[in-house]
Amino acid sequence: MMPGPGGTAGTAFRAGWCREIRFLRSNFWDFALISWIPLALMTLVAVQISAGVMRDLPIAVVDEDGGGVARELVRRLEASPGLHVAVRAADMRTAETAVRSKAAYAVVLIPRDTERTVLRGQTASITVFYNASYSTASGAALREIGTVVQDYAGRIAKDRTAAILPGKVRAPPIAARTTILFNPQGSYELQLVALIHPALLHLIFMVAVASALGRELRDGTIGPWLAGASRFAAVAAIAGKVSVYVVIFMGWALLATSYLAGLRGWPVLGSPVMLLAGYAAMYLAYVGVTLLVTGLTLSMGKSLSIAGLYAGASFAFAGAIFPIESASLFAQVWSAILPYTAFAKLLAEQWMMGSPAMVSLPHILVLLIFLFVGSGIGLPRYIAAATTPGVWGRQ
Amino acid sequence: MIGRAFLATFRLILTDSTALMLLIGSAILYSFFYPSAYSGEVPTRIAIAVVDMDHSGASRSLVHKLSALQQAEVVARTVSQDAALAWIADRRASAVVVIPEGFERHILRGEQGTVALYGNGAYLLRSSTALAGVGAALGAVGRDSATSQAMALGAPAPPPLALIQRPLFNTREGYGSTVFPGVTFLIIHQTLLMGLALLAATMRERQGALAFSPGGLLGIGLAFFVVGCANVAYYTGFVFWFQDMPRASGSIGALMLAAALFVAATVAAALALASVFDLRERPIQLWIITSVPIYFLSGLSWPVEATPGWLAMLARLLPTTPGIHLMVGINQMGASLAEQKGELFNLCGLLLLYGTIAFVRYSAPAAPRRAG
Repeated sequence: MMPGPGGTAGTAFRAGWCREIRFLRSNFWDFALISWIPLALMTLVAVQISAGVMRDLPIAVVDEDGGGVARELVRRLEASPGLHVAVRAADMRTAETAVRSKAAYAVVLIPRDTERTVLRGQTASITVFYNASYSTASGAALREIGTVVQDYAGRIAKDRTAAILPGKVRAPPIAARTTILFNPQGSYELQLVALIHPALLHLIFMVAVASALGRELRDGTIGPWLAGASRFAAVAAIAGKVSVYVVIFMGWALLATSYLAGLRGWPVLGSPVMLLAGYAAMYLAYVGVTLLVTGLTLSMGKSLSIAGLYAGASFAFAGAIFPIESASLFAQVWSAILPYTAFAKLLAEQWMMGSPAMVSLPHILVLLIFLFVGSGIGLPRYIAAATTPGVWGRQ
Repeated sequence: MIGRAFLATFRLILTDSTALMLLIGSAILYSFFYPSAYSGEVPTRIAIAVVDMDHSGASRSLVHKLSALQQAEVVARTVSQDAALAWIADRRASAVVVIPEGFERHILRGEQGTVALYGNGAYLLRSSTALAGVGAALGAVGRDSATSQAMALGAPAPPPLALIQRPLFNTREGYGSTVFPGVTFLIIHQTLLMGLALLAATMRERQGALAFSPGGLLGIGLAFFVVGCANVAYYTGFVFWFQDMPRASGSIGALMLAAALFVAATVAAALALASVFDLRERPIQLWIITSVPIYFLSGLSWPVEATPGWLAMLARLLPTTPGIHLMVGINQMGASLAEQKGELFNLCGLLLLYGTIAFVRYSAPAAPRRAG
């Protein structure tokens, strides 16, 4: 099991692999970190966002007019599947209290004289105040309210044209018909779960690998493990150790993809093979980064803390949810040195946009650069630590 | 007793560089690092590709007006729709405007000229902002064209109802000002939880099972309470001002009470959680991997109405869920304590629950556990 000086790379790889498996089998929490904890975290997110679209969002209505137009508008708001008129307030003060206590995400104010203005053939203004602190929910409510008001306005206009001014009124000259490509249902489940699952997986992966490499330093076991081995055998032994995690996390990637594509019905429009190749390349990229960090700090605690800082905010910096292109130069550089950024682009191309597999090849190459640069710097220092007992046990 | 434990805890924090980094360093680091992702805020100019299949005066005028828009930058004019969609597929354009054949004929006849607008749903949240901007701009261009059309045909009817949209509280409406004030309290929660657990696990590694007298435990808790309150004060007092986030809408008394309750519940939960770790690095592992799910569970970015009921109830066991709502409610929305009483009761309940667990766990020598 110890790769001796004469051992071939194949034996050393197998020894590294078996050694790690044995460790995982006898350590409850380390095994948990790669087994039920990823499953539990991925399930939490998947279940929470499984609704995909937001329905029955509570809103408040302030009807200062009290006429037929207002009553019909409120009825239409209530009938809209996305909305629920939870509060009918007498004035704006009461309605704002409802918003502050989160009983409503938006307030629709129907001002006095709405009915009279409409009957006179003029434009009555309905104001909607929305809670911008809760932008996802209030944004969805806002779109629904907009649709309801527009539909109702169209209805009134039609009736009015027929009744009062035949042939005199026309529709506005230009209309835009908006189509959402690649996600026609506008599903947040597809958008968010597809991105959050790999975000969780790369984080847990990096933590698991940083722990696996750092543990040997902290406990001083790196000496007995690698000190006697040739450089070549040592690299193979480390590769064997890390491969355990790559294989396990490829399993999670396959499960996450099958769940969303198979069970939830959001098929991979491009190449599933390319998507999985992307996962593999992303994991390898994080192996490179972890080797770099561990090689430089030679401390399990420190490399874990750096891993947290480095990968912990990937989701915000990847540019998939928020446009990073308009952020500061620092943020753009930070985004570029996160493997998850390249993977998120590959995922969008292969899952939602159905791009040809070759289009995503550059992302794979970028990810492999992380592996080569990271391990090129980190590996020699890590292997050298095997013969430097002075650095063992650092906190 | 309480005082001695209080001071001893501070000494312990100051001598452990990783704990110091977690409790104080990361709070300072994150206050500058995290908001930088959102420093661009509202994207000012989005890239659009235009396809003019009408080749008429009206369509040329529309293209010309599009390129003069403040919200959009015309990066390509392609001959076919497919070519334009390829620009979206390469992410070189965020939206495509297609002016169909017969556009001018329709307008001249007094009918509606329809323009097709395509956005990228693979970037749903990003493209909705972009599409809303271009859609609104097209409407404005439409009104201009209406004037010339009006000379021949009479003005188009005014719509009977118009909708005016007004944001409340977070009037900047940037991504950062929506997300960061919530993430702040997640950062404070996670650093306190993990810093405390790391110290407890280190002590346990060195001296075995931990047991404290009620006074001693209170002293330890108070020390972390002070650290947590200092973090809240730093963020709500300095960082939100420095990063120009919506802030200070509620009364200072309400803010202080809410902050105290949030930190107290977090420290109690941290004490309870710290009683299970026996390996120094374990809490750091947990800190890193749980943040994203905890943030989503809080319900700031994904509404509780669209979350399964049982999961929303479960999320209420995390101090961050009521804590983020409460702090955003008071600091950003200017809510009173009465308007947030649900969150306050939730936090009181958690303080009681985790406080009791902590006292029970540390009162007797802990039972043997599986080693980590």
